[in-house]
Amino acid sequence: MRPFGVLDDPRRRILIQALAAGFFSSAGSAAAQIFGRSPGPLPAGQSIYRVSGTVSVNSQPATLQTRIKPGDTVETAPNGEVVFAVAEEAFLLRGGSRMVIETPPPRSGLVTAMRLVTGKVLSVFGKGRPTRILTATSTIGIRGTGVYAETDPEQTYFCTCYGVADVTATNDPTSKQTVVATHHDNPLYILAKGKEGAAIRKAPFINHTDQELMLIESLVGRTPPFVFPMENYNAPRRDYP
Amino acid sequence: MRRGATTRRRRRAILATAAALVPAVAPGTARALDFDFTPARVEASLTSDDNVTRAGGSDALRDTIFGVRASKGLLLPVTQRTRAIVQGFLGGEKFQKYDGLSHNFIGAQADIQFRSSGDFGSATYSAFLRTQAEYYQSTLRDGYRHAYGVTVLKPLTDRVTFLGALQQNISDGKSTVFDTQNTALRANFDWSLSTWNTFYFGAEYRKGDFVSTACRTCDPNKTLGLVNTATPNIIEDDAFTDVVRDAYRLKANIIVATLGYNRAFSSGQSLDLSWRRATSSLSQSAVAPATKSDFAYTVNQYSLAYLVRF
Repeated sequence: MRPFGVLDDPRRRILIQALAAGFFSSAGSAAAQIFGRSPGPLPAGQSIYRVSGTVSVNSQPATLQTRIKPGDTVETAPNGEVVFAVAEEAFLLRGGSRMVIETPPPRSGLVTAMRLVTGKVLSVFGKGRPTRILTATSTIGIRGTGVYAETDPEQTYFCTCYGVADVTATNDPTSKQTVVATHHDNPLYILAKGKEGAAIRKAPFINHTDQELMLIESLVGRTPPFVFPMENYNAPRRDYP
Repeated sequence: MRRGATTRRRRRAILATAAALVPAVAPGTARALDFDFTPARVEASLTSDDNVTRAGGSDALRDTIFGVRASKGLLLPVTQRTRAIVQGFLGGEKFQKYDGLSHNFIGAQADIQFRSSGDFGSATYSAFLRTQAEYYQSTLRDGYRHAYGVTVLKPLTDRVTFLGALQQNISDGKSTVFDTQNTALRANFDWSLSTWNTFYFGAEYRKGDFVSTACRTCDPNKTLGLVNTATPNIIEDDAFTDVVRDAYRLKANIIVATLGYNRAFSSGQSLDLSWRRATSSLSQSAVAPATKSDFAYTVNQYSLAYLVRF
């Protein structure tokens, strides 16, 4: 008689061995990498929703298990992208970027602070959570807002996707502007070198989408204030004549 | 089989033109009524079509088509979850060999959309009505094309978006042979590899009328079968001048598959490459000496398009 638990069907044996080895969970993970998944609030203890290409946290390679907390530096290679959440804030950091989630100074009244050293980031922040964003050329104070920023030593592109932002040019404190936006109403360029009082200029709406805002808001259990996303898909949907 | 121009047609042409021009000429009105304009879209395309006659065997003729299309619309918020979109468009297609098929068009589309929330996965439901006037280099196809239907657009995951549509297509040509109606059920999946790269896959089932053009004298037996099957919906096709060809209106089932790749260069520009294959089979009875296989055909369209939105 065969001992209990010994299988004579080789196919069942292979199947059970594959299950034990976690084959299907890794296959599921690979499928999620290829076909994506439906975003929702991240489980407790998980910071990263999606990581692709080369991404590091505090100079260590990032995986879905990597925790990100205030004080950490997140960096992406040109081929990298990472979507993550820290407390009530969520971020989509594009390739070729470096940002620091800063610990707010004591008694500053700030809940969050971040420094975008270089690159591109889409961010959403919880309501009633005063936040300061530093870029290469600007200092921005916000509250309960969705924003997109691109920065390099010459200029910063900054879009207040919704909410309120106080924007000040780093090299020219007289150049400042308060933006109240409901849907990408007033994107700006903040220049490193501009005429006094004129280092902030109007900019077009570029390089981020409402679908991305909806995605990162969903990671922290929120929805953006708009219902209909702006159309961004640019393929012809012609009828067969 | 020809109909004369009627007052009704002229009135509809004026309405179609007016609808298409409203977004362009009335920005002040739009602002006053709290409209928002949609971005203008312009696309230029080059398409290779291996069966512009929509016929089988040696009657299938190949051509290359250069197309342009421009559109502009306005958004009218109705409630927080409902909005209307009115869009005007115009354009044209130039056929390299069979110039009788070259045409210009102008039209308008109205959509009413509902989305329950700003959740990522929330579906957008839409009902639409589209009408366009078409002016061909030949005469018989001149007329109107209308479509109405419903669509649903839903992100399935953060990489895959589904678009489903059920629509009724109606064309109203100068010749009754080109008066057609068909119903289309369509599914499309957009698969985004990254922000800038999207593959799309589409499948469509269409049931109703189609027009096929075949040489009158090339195969007398086949011609007799076509005539017996399509009578009285036959007319000498004025779009082709190489040999005498007749257009036949028939009932068919058509399956259309589309495979495409869209490469965006920025938020407002993209290059699009697609392959579309249509397979048609007769759904009415074939009358001897014709058999159903005489009416079966396939179409392959390879298209390269540049699109810009501003």
